Amino acid sequence: MHLVIIGNGVAGVTCALNARRRDPDAQITMIGDETEWFYSRTALMYAFMDRLPRRALEPFERGMWKQQRLSLVHDRVVDLNAERREVTLGSGRVLGYDRLVLAVGATPAPAPWPGSDTVRSGMVNFVSMRDLDACESAARGAPRAIVVGGGLIGIELVECLVHHRVPTTFIVRDRWYWPVALCRAEAQLVRECMMRHGVDVRLGESVAQVHASAEGAFQGVTLSGGERLDAPLLGVTIGVRPAIAQFAEFAHSPAMGRGIRVNPQFETSLPDVYAIGDCAEIQQADGTVLHETIWYSAKRQGALLGARNLWGDGVPYVPPVFFNSSKLFDLEYTTVGQVTGLPDRTPTVVLRHTKRPILVRVVHDGEQVRGFNMLGSRWNHEVLVRWIEERRSASYVLAHLREAQFDVEFGRAPLQQLERQDSTLAEANA
Amino acid sequence: MRRQGTLGWLGHDISRRGVTAWVTSVALVAFYLILYFGGTFDQQGRLDAWARSLFGWLPDSYEPTRWTLYGALYSVSMVGGGLFMLWKYRHNRYQVVRTLVVMAIQVSFGFSVPILLKVFGQPEYYFSYFWPLKFEYFYPSTIISQPLPFVVYSFVGSLLLVPVMTLLYGKRWYCSWVCGCGGLANTFGEPWRHLSQKSRAAWRFEKYSIHLTLVVALMVTAAWHLGHMSESQARAVCNLPELWGARPEAACMQQLPTSTFAGWYYRSALHPLMEFAKQYYGIIVLSVLSGVVGTGLYPLGGTRLWCRYFCPMAALLGLIQKLGRFRIRVKKDMCISCGMCTEYCEMGIDVRAYAQANRSFTRASCVGCGLCAEVCPRGVLRLENVSRREAAELNMSSFLDESWKG
Repeated sequence: MHLVIIGNGVAGVTCALNARRRDPDAQITMIGDETEWFYSRTALMYAFMDRLPRRALEPFERGMWKQQRLSLVHDRVVDLNAERREVTLGSGRVLGYDRLVLAVGATPAPAPWPGSDTVRSGMVNFVSMRDLDACESAARGAPRAIVVGGGLIGIELVECLVHHRVPTTFIVRDRWYWPVALCRAEAQLVRECMMRHGVDVRLGESVAQVHASAEGAFQGVTLSGGERLDAPLLGVTIGVRPAIAQFAEFAHSPAMGRGIRVNPQFETSLPDVYAIGDCAEIQQADGTVLHETIWYSAKRQGALLGARNLWGDGVPYVPPVFFNSSKLFDLEYTTVGQVTGLPDRTPTVVLRHTKRPILVRVVHDGEQVRGFNMLGSRWNHEVLVRWIEERRSASYVLAHLREAQFDVEFGRAPLQQLERQDSTLAEANA
Repeated sequence: MRRQGTLGWLGHDISRRGVTAWVTSVALVAFYLILYFGGTFDQQGRLDAWARSLFGWLPDSYEPTRWTLYGALYSVSMVGGGLFMLWKYRHNRYQVVRTLVVMAIQVSFGFSVPILLKVFGQPEYYFSYFWPLKFEYFYPSTIISQPLPFVVYSFVGSLLLVPVMTLLYGKRWYCSWVCGCGGLANTFGEPWRHLSQKSRAAWRFEKYSIHLTLVVALMVTAAWHLGHMSESQARAVCNLPELWGARPEAACMQQLPTSTFAGWYYRSALHPLMEFAKQYYGIIVLSVLSGVVGTGLYPLGGTRLWCRYFCPMAALLGLIQKLGRFRIRVKKDMCISCGMCTEYCEMGIDVRAYAQANRSFTRASCVGCGLCAEVCPRGVLRLENVSRREAAELNMSSFLDESWKG
């Protein structure tokens, strides 16, 4: 049995490790063209800020791969033949497979603004090791920087630039930062935090024109409002999309929508070819499409495929209650369940500290809690998830909030000092 | 990428084994070598003279030596580094409380209280140190010569307080809250904490080295007591008065009857070995390993070389910790494998290996400094005291989370 995995990101690696546990004799080959060794993409910002050396980004000691008998091939796949069950590599080498896993991840969405196609240098993304190299060389000595995009990667890149004392303008298209995750008051806390660190935050503005020199060096942008900003560095962090363009040229390509279409068992339209992680688009039984793009979802998908479904167990993937956490500059952030995209009249309870940037938001539908957004303190998402699964009422949850706190010892956020305000989602977003 | 400018260069260079780190380390090692072993130009005498001129204002009942100077330097380094810690981690109450406590203990019990005791004609006693770290507190000579309250404190502290507190709160109550060695590492040593070796090879070495030192420390304690026992029996046999300081001559020792334990011990192969351990433990373990290596190599090998590889107290507390309530709690599926926890673990524990496998854990070496939880960008980790114990150490096959098995 030869298992070939294309992509050595977290989905592919988790799949390989689980497959090895399931079948100690299988031949497992991982093909990756980004880096020779698996690294944690999420830690790029700490490498940029010199808080981690590059080698520390590798989650496993290098001896592990040999010990687990996982062959790593640092190359690019240029063809896939599903009839002959073969993939061809850039080097010309042909690899036969019994099962093929596509875990090719995602690539940054390209800059869509007029003039961006003339830029050859100074315009960077921030999702790969190569991006990090580009960011570092562009940030060196830069007198200013502009970052466009209102999500997590954007704020990470801004934090890195601020750390390197590059005055940075953060351009957010929406009325406030990250509206798919935060209500207005929450975004305001994040904005205040960014401004404390000297970030020039522009809300409700977008790029109208990108300017470059004759040689293609990025020079600046004109905003939709007409203002011209000059800087040698433009960070483009407007999201990622499945890295599936390459498949179009292959002899056989799996059925694709925005990503590679798979059923809940991760099977693509090609026999014995599976897809997981950021590149996969799961067609669920209820007709909806699930496209998960976070670290733990890649791990869960990889584990289920490697341990079960590659071996014909046919276990459908069921996503857990959504959760995520992050640190936005120095603001802790935890979200669980659904906090946006609900009807306007959905009741929402906001608990706020009058002086410190601590905010707790509980969204419920009158009967049961639906979601939590927590800023400025640490929370145990396992407890919050359980409350949602147990269909607890808002009053139960508010009375038991203490049980879900996860702050350091002596540092528990003072819940009794928080002021309560009841409103609806529409009001919170007004 | 390091920060721009001279300060950016210096910050990177000194904390990432650059030229300035080497220079600092050489200077620290030289200082310790002079302190412990003197030098050709009587630098020790010079240190003593400095101490006398600095601390001349103390009453005559206290004679300042280079050790007074060392204690003062040590305390100043800890207070300075501690203030830096308090500023750097001002948002983290655990770090603030812990740092304040460890600073206060150093300044009082670690420095000024022993001086005051001597000023008032009492023995120079350190209430913040216990056997087997301060192994001389269990010497027969100490036990017999010290006032009873100090002896009682030594015994109750080392044999009752230390194990009970460790069972309840983990070794951190001592290693990160009380101990001066740990205190210096966590204050003055802050810029170098990430230099600890994270490899499995280092972990394997640590397991041997630290437990070996513990065995030697136990042996040395036993050696003093066995020696004391055989000597006092020999005195009884050859009718010498019970006297401290002078050891009975070999001719007298030879008169010990072979039928007694003391006689057997004196003639056995164990005796020279124990005497050897007694003679060299202080120099090799306490001077070289805790001073020269443990502190002198901060800028090259990280801050807890002594605590991690050699401290007999840490070894003992670690074994007790494995049985106790302390653990590092890992939130399920929240880890993004960034590696900040592993990088900033001064004990070289691969915290990420546990976090990414969703496993809460207790490692014998963990001193509970809490920095892994502090630097985690996802709030995955938390130090806890719970009544439930965690499963055994991580091995290769448990790199995976197998919770899907249900």
